[in-house]
Amino acid sequence: MSSFVKLSHAWMAWDGPSRAPEGVVLDQTRELEKFLADIERRAFRMAQVALRDPDDALDVVQDAMLKLARNYAAKPSAEWRPLFYRILENGIRDLQRRRAVRKRLMVWLPGPKEDPDGEAADPLETVAASGPDAPERLMQAEAIDKLERSLRELPARQREAFMLRNFEGLDVAATAAAMGCSEGSVKTHYSRAVHALRERLGEVW
Amino acid sequence: MNESGFNGLEKRSRELFDASVEDIDMRVRSRLTQARHAALEAVAARPSGFFRATWVPSAAGITAAAVLAVALWFGAPHGSHGTTAADPQASFEDLDIVAASDENSGDPMEMLQDDVEFYDWAAQKTADSDPATDGVG
Repeated sequence: MSSFVKLSHAWMAWDGPSRAPEGVVLDQTRELEKFLADIERRAFRMAQVALRDPDDALDVVQDAMLKLARNYAAKPSAEWRPLFYRILENGIRDLQRRRAVRKRLMVWLPGPKEDPDGEAADPLETVAASGPDAPERLMQAEAIDKLERSLRELPARQREAFMLRNFEGLDVAATAAAMGCSEGSVKTHYSRAVHALRERLGEVW
Repeated sequence: MNESGFNGLEKRSRELFDASVEDIDMRVRSRLTQARHAALEAVAARPSGFFRATWVPSAAGITAAAVLAVALWFGAPHGSHGTTAADPQASFEDLDIVAASDENSGDPMEMLQDDVEFYDWAAQKTADSDPATDGVG
């Protein structure tokens, strides 16, 4: 058999880059699973606040999970949280841009009008109307709805800063990493968000 | 607006957000679990970043070089790593190498042309001193 034939057979038999040792992948997978399990519901709610639509929120969260796993799983786990939220916020912004384009197109096209930013179902309808804690749950649902409306009215960067800092508990540096801006910008956005929310939500808060 | 007011707003909004997270319905929870498993499968199916980023290129290069060296070594005719009549391609390549080694001295074939008589003489002397031809041994 000639040298070329042997070499080409070896090349064809080569199965691409070698996989990492099984133990390494297993440990990494367990750690990532724990991280994603801890973060997924909160991430979903953050996406839902921004996008309103639960299916869209699920899509961007799933996309963020996949991108983190594919591209950044080998990074130190301490970096996952800001990376994940950066991917998530990018996904949210992309979807909002696509919606804006679609909305502009829909104005010119015939047929039923689609309005993804329109009013969603009344959140109070989803709360159980009976039970001993029904009044309290109704009040809570109303407060959550009011908070979400106020957050949606904020400029995107202020909303991101407020949710990452306050809801997720990221520090200023991690928030800056997640938002892709300076720490000074994070402080400014956050401060403006708190002032704006205070004005919108009133003194009862 | 005082600081305690801000802190109250932050605390209250955080509590409400946490409560809303707890109230996520089973359909969404199930889909999130599916999404998580899909992401984890993607990790299991890919080479780790460490190996991909640092070791794989060098390991692949070394392996490819070793395979090439072994293939060339064992692929050549046994005992004939020099020039043979059965390997005309190698003969031409060797001749090119010899010729190229004298490129700076003018005509690359000049040395061979000028010393034909010497090579004949050397070949004759070698044949004369060969024990097999002398009948000595």
